[in-house]
Amino acid sequence: MKSTREQEFVTLVEVHQNVIHKICRLYTKSSAEHKDLFQEITIQLWSAYPKFRGEAKFSTWMYRVGINTAISLYRKSKRKIQSFSFDDVAFKIPQDDSYDDTEDQQLSAIYHAVKQLNDIDKALVFLYLEDKSYKEISETMGISEVNARVRMNRVKKKLKQQLNP
Amino acid sequence: MDALERLKNDWKNQTNYPKVTKEDIYKLLHKKSSSIVKWIFILSIIEFGFWTIIGFLIKDNEAQQQFDSYEVDHITTPLIVLGYIVLVYFFTLFYRNYKKISNSDSVKTLMQKILTTRTTVRNYVIFNLVFIYISLLIGIWVEMTKNPDVKLAIAQSSESGDLFIFYGTIAVVTVVLMALTTALLLGFYYLVYGILLKRLKQNYKELKTISETDQQS
Repeated sequence: MKSTREQEFVTLVEVHQNVIHKICRLYTKSSAEHKDLFQEITIQLWSAYPKFRGEAKFSTWMYRVGINTAISLYRKSKRKIQSFSFDDVAFKIPQDDSYDDTEDQQLSAIYHAVKQLNDIDKALVFLYLEDKSYKEISETMGISEVNARVRMNRVKKKLKQQLNP
Repeated sequence: MDALERLKNDWKNQTNYPKVTKEDIYKLLHKKSSSIVKWIFILSIIEFGFWTIIGFLIKDNEAQQQFDSYEVDHITTPLIVLGYIVLVYFFTLFYRNYKKISNSDSVKTLMQKILTTRTTVRNYVIFNLVFIYISLLIGIWVEMTKNPDVKLAIAQSSESGDLFIFYGTIAVVTVVLMALTTALLLGFYYLVYGILLKRLKQNYKELKTISETDQQS
């Protein structure tokens, strides 16, 4: 028997699932890892859902729990991943190489460079790509707004150097 | 246009992610989490259980029964009571730490809370080690003053002028035992938690560096 709360949560996750996919895309290297992290983020979201009061938008709240899971809670497993049974044919995770079908090589190089960043910088870049304000970025990360800006500028410079050595 | 702006444009237009159905999501909700926090809590319980079992095992063996016959309850009883009080205290802390951790905290707060949990476990292990040392030293002192066989050995060594060697041997054996116990437990502890928290600690260090830069700026 599925409770109303559960149904409501599942619908929200279904609608906003791309947020989770995007986090997985930045933090994982294979489709097996992507699935595993997707699973862990969903479980973490569900465990935190009773505390979700709706003051923030569901998607905003997802960013926080998702990033926390990717950075602090998730353990990359060396075991053979036996996660949920998505239809493997349907669940083909677009890895960076396949993202490039219609993209030029430069874009592929940017994706590659971003994936090489450390976990914290990746989170900053992710929030930046999602068009979050520095206020939101600082609140999610637990650092000051000034700092988020300073760090983002450094990341931009770092990427620039990497892409134009 | 800089690299990130270019990436942003592409990022927004990306829609070719796999489609996870509602049924899939329902299935996921009933899967078990493998998060670090959960592992730390499980390890805490295992460690707690380990020390409790050790306590019970020691209680029933012959040496302990002989020890009890020396009638040193005025020393051992307060020690045991203290041990249990601290045990309950730590268990309460483990549970409170575990409950306090919220995955919707800010990244930094979450990391701090996880590391606090780890520190509690470390303190618990240190307490157990100190407790073992104190018990060991008290045990040796009681054996030397109450055990007739040991008293006889001391008297014989005294007569033959080997008392210094006798005490020296006991001291060396005690120190070696203590060192071995410490190395074994701390080694195991650092190995387990080191592997578990390596990535988290790196990330926390990175985030702290950012905050320190802020204070300077």
